[in-house]
Amino acid sequence: MRLGIAFALVASACARPPTPTSAPQPVSAPASTAEPAKDDSPSWLLRGARVMTATGIIYMRGDVLVRGDRIVRVAASIDAPAGTRIVDATGKTVTPGLIDTHSHIGVYAAPGFTAHSDGNEMVAATTPHVRAQDGYWPQDPQIDHARAGGVTTMQILPGSANLIGGRSVTVKTYPGARGVDEARFADAPEGLKMACGENPKRVYGTKGGPATRMGNMAGFRRAFLEAQEYQRSWDRYREKLARQAKDGTDDAPAKAGAKDESEDNSKDKSDGPPDPPKRDLGLETLAAVLRGELLVHNHCYRADEMLGMLALGREFGFAIRSFHHAVEAYKIAPELAAADTSASVWADWWGFKAEAFDGIRENAAMVAAAGARAIIHSDSGIGIQHLNQEASKAMWAGRRAGLTIADDEALRWITANPAWALGVHEQVGTLAPGKQADIVVWDGDPFSVYSRVQQVFIEGTLVYDRDDPAHRPQTDFELGYDNGRTGAR
Amino acid sequence: MTLRMTLRMTLRSSATALALFTSAAIAHAAPAPATTQIAARSKPPRSRAPRLAFDADAAPVFLVGAEIRTGDGPPIAGGVIELRGTRIAAVSGPGRTIPEGARTIDVTGKIITPGLVAIDTSLGLVEIDAEGSTKDDSGAEGDPIRAVYDASMAINADSALLQVNAIEGITSAAVTPRGGLVSGQVAWIDLVHGDHRNIVAANGVAMRVQLGQTVDGSRAATWLRLNELFDDVEFYRTRKAAFDRNQSRDLAAHRLDLEALQPYVAGAAPLLIAAHRVSDLRLLVELARRGMRVVALGGTQAWRIADELAQAKITVVVQPTQNLPVTMDEMGARIDNAALLAAAGVEVGIAVLGDAHNPRNVTQEAGVAVSYGLDPALALAAITRVPARIYGMDAHYGTLSAGKVANLVVWDGDPFELSQRPSAVWIRGRAIPMRSRQTELRDRYMPRVRADD
Repeated sequence: MRLGIAFALVASACARPPTPTSAPQPVSAPASTAEPAKDDSPSWLLRGARVMTATGIIYMRGDVLVRGDRIVRVAASIDAPAGTRIVDATGKTVTPGLIDTHSHIGVYAAPGFTAHSDGNEMVAATTPHVRAQDGYWPQDPQIDHARAGGVTTMQILPGSANLIGGRSVTVKTYPGARGVDEARFADAPEGLKMACGENPKRVYGTKGGPATRMGNMAGFRRAFLEAQEYQRSWDRYREKLARQAKDGTDDAPAKAGAKDESEDNSKDKSDGPPDPPKRDLGLETLAAVLRGELLVHNHCYRADEMLGMLALGREFGFAIRSFHHAVEAYKIAPELAAADTSASVWADWWGFKAEAFDGIRENAAMVAAAGARAIIHSDSGIGIQHLNQEASKAMWAGRRAGLTIADDEALRWITANPAWALGVHEQVGTLAPGKQADIVVWDGDPFSVYSRVQQVFIEGTLVYDRDDPAHRPQTDFELGYDNGRTGAR
Repeated sequence: MTLRMTLRMTLRSSATALALFTSAAIAHAAPAPATTQIAARSKPPRSRAPRLAFDADAAPVFLVGAEIRTGDGPPIAGGVIELRGTRIAAVSGPGRTIPEGARTIDVTGKIITPGLVAIDTSLGLVEIDAEGSTKDDSGAEGDPIRAVYDASMAINADSALLQVNAIEGITSAAVTPRGGLVSGQVAWIDLVHGDHRNIVAANGVAMRVQLGQTVDGSRAATWLRLNELFDDVEFYRTRKAAFDRNQSRDLAAHRLDLEALQPYVAGAAPLLIAAHRVSDLRLLVELARRGMRVVALGGTQAWRIADELAQAKITVVVQPTQNLPVTMDEMGARIDNAALLAAAGVEVGIAVLGDAHNPRNVTQEAGVAVSYGLDPALALAAITRVPARIYGMDAHYGTLSAGKVANLVVWDGDPFELSQRPSAVWIRGRAIPMRSRQTELRDRYMPRVRADD
């Protein structure tokens, strides 16, 4: 029996399979950790595959039980409850859905029209008020390609022209999304994009600065000093409100941002509720970073600059969740481990600019060997289709250099570790009970150049099948052109 | 990175995308020199011989016991390769008698392939893409006709990029200039790091041309300009004397450019033309019909007219992973382009197009092509024999056989697999040191990582 047919049957219970010519429907209501699948959801058992869980365990032959949108159980052998559909996956390999911490899909779409350039608000060096979600175009054909490469979750970041580029958004590669809210990873924290080094100083060197790395760092500090002051002004306001409410000396509403202003007009200003500070979207974003509510994602190549940014974080009391393009992470791997900061790296990009000149193939493996979290990211609509291959190259480079890198560890570079960096590790990133059923079925070892993605599931629903045109979704944009194919690849 | 995508919307390889950084770099490029090369080129080159002696008197070296994948024909199990000096003296099966006292290297259980060739690279011309002072891959900016530009005059044998790629199996590279309509002449180098005297094996092995909206942002103007140029190449050839007496009409390009283009217009050497869209590829077919040798670089939509390209004997060089419609010219990009072309009888080359830093990833590209249907033997040929043929270097490179330059790679397993890197690389008959700037960086920092183990 062909695996694809079996899966198609399973999936039809969950969602209407989109056809290439009809508009694909959003396949899933956003999942929530708070609402586990009901027990009467249809369940199915993926049987007999090599199961790479990214939890430290690889079952050479194992079973995965899925109910609704969740993984129920993963074990060497599972006795399926009566009525469970059995899907034979003998000879296949199963992994968690892949996760990319660094993508500009949707904000830098393909084709690269000037009209599609929506990722860099290149008007000022510090633009924390903008959000990638507002530039995300869900008809970008690259989304289909990423999904066909096994990617189920990706962080969409603003670009690196600015010191502070804005808020990121984490999305799933659901087919058929018509707006960002139909793509959004439910409950995922937002991130803040920051960039060190050459890009900001090149872009703003003749446009008011920063023109140097000195200016870069001064720009960060100035921004966060303002954020501290902004935070203090709100803290003062709230304290005052709280004091008034506690004193009970006046009848002003004790809520922030009093709604009924007509009532207040008659009151003496000094006795009335305090005026709230003026909201500033940019400072609000930075203040959220200071409170630890936004995760910091920092484009930073050089070891010296990464150390400088860690120091900046200590000065202002925030953590850096991941350094991106951390080409020199291997030079400071123990420090990254101590700071609990992950390194998002390429397998082998190097030399295209001075700050990328010291790239080496062993980067990820050396970061992992020092006990820090290594992540392979793409920053590319091509690379995102081959995260497994990029991880494989990095894994083998480490092994050749004498480091012990288990298959499971290298798999974590593209699953569990990026899930942690995005703050969604409770929901996705491993094959474990309670996790969302984001699953990739491969026709061979994912670390082989010859292996291809066979099927992709998001939250238990089939969203890609290599052998079934009905499950190779295509965005609106590619319709009407002779691609000689349906869907990606 | 991101930023580069903002400024120039190319989503291709990092090097190509980084073209955006380079406008300032052009000013640093040396003016095209090379009059001495020009004279030699008035006689059309057929097959270019590298400036290497066949040193028949050199002491032989025998590589014994490997599976030899010669690049044409079936693999030889337990074979023997005899090297003498810079050349291969003999390739045979296990029955070979090895003279007493001869230097013998046991490579039992390993695989030997021909050295890999980077088809379209700025290796040796570029150190850091974004640093103009280290980037020297084009002729004078402004003039779209730069035929006289000769990449061989700008090669830096000390480039750190050479060893980074050589230790992963790239032994030769066709160094291609960029920019303009006619970018200039391609040089064939062997990756002999530090050997300024000998790094260039042959110059003028191809002329690089860029179709599309290259001239005045107009496809039609580009084609018109190219035709005007080719007409004048012919006009100049037949009226040189008149030209020298100043009795000629104005010509479409400088005398040296017209001179440099002679062998290419005559079909003696190939035009290497970057083109993606069907309408552009059909112009390549037109040039081939006029008797020119044409190689297509990129060829995103080539699968759609594979039969036409096969008939016109146009070799198509693809980069299999590039399956995105990064421009409207590349709608319908497919990961199985190579297999579709090969099935139609098109000769296929595989390359990491236009990149200087990672031509080494061509093995991964070949592996991806195989996983999407290309025959493995054709994939190996696409990075060895085909590149040698494209550049008229096949009498000396591209396969393992007697008389060829001793460029070869020793592997522990399948060369396309991501787990594999060469265990030894021989260039011009010598095993190169398996060190690079990158391995030195690695070794410097490894103790810190291990200390925390």
